Amino acid sequence: MSLVTIIWSMIASACLTLAAINFLTWGRNRKAWANLFFSLLATGTAAWTFCELWMMRAETPAEFATALKWGHVAVWLVIISMVWFIRLYLRAGRAWLAWTVCGFRTLALVLNFLVGQNLNYREITHLQSVRFLGESVQIAEGVHNPWMLVGQLSLVSLVIFAADAAATVWRRGDRRTALTVGGSVAFFSIVGAAQSLLVLWGIVRVPLSASLSFMGVVAVMGFELSSDMIRAAQLARKLRESEAELRESEERMRLAVEGADFGIWIRDLARKEIWASDKWRGLFGFAKAERLEFGDVLQRIHPDDRDPFRLKLKKAAEGGGNYEGEYRIVLPSGEVRWISSLAHFEFDSAGRPILIRGVSRDITGRKEAEEETQALRRDLAHVDRVSMMGQLASSLAHEINQPLGAILRNAEAAELFMQEKSPDLDEIRAILADIRKDDQRAGSVIDRMRGLLKRHSLDKKFVDVGELVGGVAVLVHSDAASRHIKLEWAVADHLPPVLGDVVHLQQVLLNLMVNGMDALGEANGGDRRVRVTAARGGPKTVEIAVSDSGSGIPVDRLAHIFDPFFTTKPNGMGMGLAISRTIIEAHNGRLWAENQKDGGASFRFTLPVAEKDGAR
Amino acid sequence: MSETVPIIHVVDDDASFLAAISRLLRANGFSVKTYSSAHEFLGQRDADAPGCVLADLRMPQMNGLDLQSALAQTANPLPLVILTGHGDISSTVRAMRSGAEDFLEKRAPKEALLEAVTRALGRDSRERDARRRQRDLRALFDTLTERELEVLSHVVRGRLNKQIAGDLNIHERTVKLHRTAITTKLKVQSVAELTRLTQEADIFPDLVTTFPKGQ
Repeated sequence: MSLVTIIWSMIASACLTLAAINFLTWGRNRKAWANLFFSLLATGTAAWTFCELWMMRAETPAEFATALKWGHVAVWLVIISMVWFIRLYLRAGRAWLAWTVCGFRTLALVLNFLVGQNLNYREITHLQSVRFLGESVQIAEGVHNPWMLVGQLSLVSLVIFAADAAATVWRRGDRRTALTVGGSVAFFSIVGAAQSLLVLWGIVRVPLSASLSFMGVVAVMGFELSSDMIRAAQLARKLRESEAELRESEERMRLAVEGADFGIWIRDLARKEIWASDKWRGLFGFAKAERLEFGDVLQRIHPDDRDPFRLKLKKAAEGGGNYEGEYRIVLPSGEVRWISSLAHFEFDSAGRPILIRGVSRDITGRKEAEEETQALRRDLAHVDRVSMMGQLASSLAHEINQPLGAILRNAEAAELFMQEKSPDLDEIRAILADIRKDDQRAGSVIDRMRGLLKRHSLDKKFVDVGELVGGVAVLVHSDAASRHIKLEWAVADHLPPVLGDVVHLQQVLLNLMVNGMDALGEANGGDRRVRVTAARGGPKTVEIAVSDSGSGIPVDRLAHIFDPFFTTKPNGMGMGLAISRTIIEAHNGRLWAENQKDGGASFRFTLPVAEKDGAR
Repeated sequence: MSETVPIIHVVDDDASFLAAISRLLRANGFSVKTYSSAHEFLGQRDADAPGCVLADLRMPQMNGLDLQSALAQTANPLPLVILTGHGDISSTVRAMRSGAEDFLEKRAPKEALLEAVTRALGRDSRERDARRRQRDLRALFDTLTERELEVLSHVVRGRLNKQIAGDLNIHERTVKLHRTAITTKLKVQSVAELTRLTQEADIFPDLVTTFPKGQ
């Protein structure tokens, strides 16, 4: 086989191979238009190579002319593909230049078929054998076609287009690509055009071998494309590596978070999706694969904590975007857990929250310990506050029992004396006198206590009713919670201050509230409520009421509940209400009890509104 | 029973209550003596008279509980009932623990008061009888000579005459003579009776007896 056949066949087969590879690439990824045009470019080059070979082996001038004529179809394909490959691959080159190249080349192709035997020759008169690469090949001689100029113009415009595109890429900073792609197209176009001209005008007597130039362009562009593929493969590997690193760091993060007992969650507000770690799901009692809805999560939160939680979240969304809070959740099993949560909002450009990320943690143990401490502290405070009343009650009970005991024993003795046949009347008279004396003594004990409260213990000042009620309510709150009693208090707006001794008034309120809670007993369920209200009772009084949802006071007891020593409690002293009434009366107020229409007892007391000159 | 009438000693700083309760007790047939303080009672009382004490818990200087412990130290520890105006759990527990016969509120029902007094007098009478019997027994044992007491200590330990003779380095017949003298003086018939009497009189406090004591 001759050398020419070998070289030209190799060029053709190499081009076809590249064409096939790139066509398949485009087939797999229809957006890879650059690959398609490269494939067409290579195909065109292969076709032209075939035509060149055909011309070199032509036996008649007519056959040579036909080969050249069809060769121009291949050239058209090569140039059009080259233009669009540059446009698409480099994303550069002016569109009007591209269309100019295409226009000239298409015009040249049309002229190729319409004028003369082909674009280059009007008529090929004869063929001439020349030595080329050690063998005899045919070259043509004849009358040139002046329209050949159109073809030259298309090549010139191609060089301009490629140079312009390369310049753009150069400026963009990718100098290597600018040089290889733009430079090679310009270089090989000029070389190809020059060689063709020299051959066609008979200055150099060698066959047409533009295929070598085309092959150069194909090789450079093929190299670019394949190095792109290599780069892509490298990138893909790097991506995989960084993904693995990311997974590793995620895993480390997860371990850290789970180790610290944190449950993490992300709530996408736009897509209404919640993602949460397994730890979080365990904490809130959701299954691992269960789809999470915000409503369901909200349902887990203790009813008493739900509204404060929502309010705080809303504030965070409107404010700085940071949420921090503690609340209780109730699991489906009924178990109650204390949760501490931290969350951070992300906002879009318009300032609307789009995403919340957060961590939650079980703080039940800590809370329980805290509650225990608090309960202890409250108990101490409680003891402190009631001890004054307790001491008073105890010493009062002792003092008053003394004369009462004497009266009882005297009366019993008198009864026995009376049963005798001749009763000792002098003795009985003495007894009666003693009884009267002791009765006065008992009365004076009570008077003394009243006087004590009035003269010495009462330190009357302006008292804010809201603070008074709130202070005691806070004191009793934990006790109420532990007994499953709902404690409510409502103080009317703009209440004037009253004149009184805060400590004593607190004792009264405390006593009434504890009584109210005791009235609810230990029975579970139902409406267990103690309500404290404060409002204007009249133009010059404020009325405070402590009502419970118990069964009320039996009518026969209503008249006695304020009597000293009257009690219904197994450990009661029966002094609480008596002392409370004494205190309120010492404040020039009234304390009374009534049953409410809808059941339950209501203890009410009035206090005079503080006059401006009322405080001593 | 006893020759003298038991007396109820009432100690209270409240004169009015003192008068009232003594009237009630007297009307129920008791002999009553009243004192306005614990010291007054301790100073005036008869060292050996039967009776019981009713004392107020709250008194200045020496209160009811202090009186209880002071009384327990004397040769005539009369049973004591504590009275209080208002009883709380802690003082009740303290009173009962310190050996008070009873703990009553001043306004306790009459029946409870009289019952407590009767019970206290009953206890005093029993304890007094036991004390007197022991005293009589001791007088009886006092008639024994040193040697006889020594022999007795061996006898109640269950030793045989031969062993006792060996221990004391005397003749066996001498032991027998001592034993006869002991049984005659103590007016007993058997060794068992002798042992019981010895234990009751508590002559040998360090005696580790093979017989159960005081049952």
